[in-house]
Amino acid sequence: MQEEKKFIEDLLNPKTQNQAFEILLKNFQKPLYNHIRNIVLNHDDADDVLQNTFVKVFQNLGKFKGESKLFSWMYRIATNEALTFLSKKAKSGRVSSEALQSKTIDNLQADVYFDGNEIQIKLQRAIAILPEKQQLVFKMKYFEELKYEEISEIVGTSVGALKASYHIAVKKIESFVKTN
Amino acid sequence: MKTFELASEPKIESGFKTPEHYFDTFSARVMQQLPKEEPKIISIFSKRKTWFYAAAAILILGLSIPTYNQFNSSSTEIDDATLENYLAYNASVSGTDLVNLLDSEDIQKMSVDLNIGDKTIEDELTGNKNLEYYLLN
Repeated sequence: MQEEKKFIEDLLNPKTQNQAFEILLKNFQKPLYNHIRNIVLNHDDADDVLQNTFVKVFQNLGKFKGESKLFSWMYRIATNEALTFLSKKAKSGRVSSEALQSKTIDNLQADVYFDGNEIQIKLQRAIAILPEKQQLVFKMKYFEELKYEEISEIVGTSVGALKASYHIAVKKIESFVKTN
Repeated sequence: MKTFELASEPKIESGFKTPEHYFDTFSARVMQQLPKEEPKIISIFSKRKTWFYAAAAILILGLSIPTYNQFNSSSTEIDDATLENYLAYNASVSGTDLVNLLDSEDIQKMSVDLNIGDKTIEDELTGNKNLEYYLLN
């Protein structure tokens, strides 16, 4: 915690800012990429959103009050950026966000940056039937293997509610896979 | 119907991949996009505002001082001019009365105020045509 405080000071100090930000980039680019990619599904979109996320993080460093951890604050920005990106994309394509997600999953098989088989595609289709919040919780727990406490800090929901949400999501997915 | 339980199945990976060396170059790309520190711009209006307040303060002060003095002058204390006029034009107070009221301190003060040297007195006396008459009497 003390270390994080010092790191945040370095991030806010104009003299050490760039060096500290590069460290931040190196430490968070992979987990944040995975988090965003799990939401937007396609690499090019994930790349765009990840860049926007880091630029936004940099621009808002002054507003970071240290009330939450740097980690959860960045995940929140990334989640918002990814969800905003999807809703804009759906709007510009004049389709619903569900239709957009379904189409993106269809395109996965042809995606050179997707190395999955039938079960992976089926799992994505099963996730797509869940409400947005359950999708997020499931992806963070199952794919990203975040702890409930960490997810709780990011989404601002209690650990108990998250466990319930994950349990329901798993049941729905299992039933979808069984019947399809 | 076959069973499917996520927990008992081997972990299903997301299958998402990135282009080769994607993360090697990513941070450099982001660093290029970061906004450069811009020189601080101070709005001309904020400077004007300061001057406006300064001018307003001076104006209020300038107007309030004469007003304050005017109100103050109506006080019951008698100023010097009124006192002098009273003494000069009031017949009941004679020059002798005034002289009698002077004490030694007052006289000393007067000599300091007037500060007339011996030479000045001499010059004055020699220039006076009535000097002889004064001396004889």
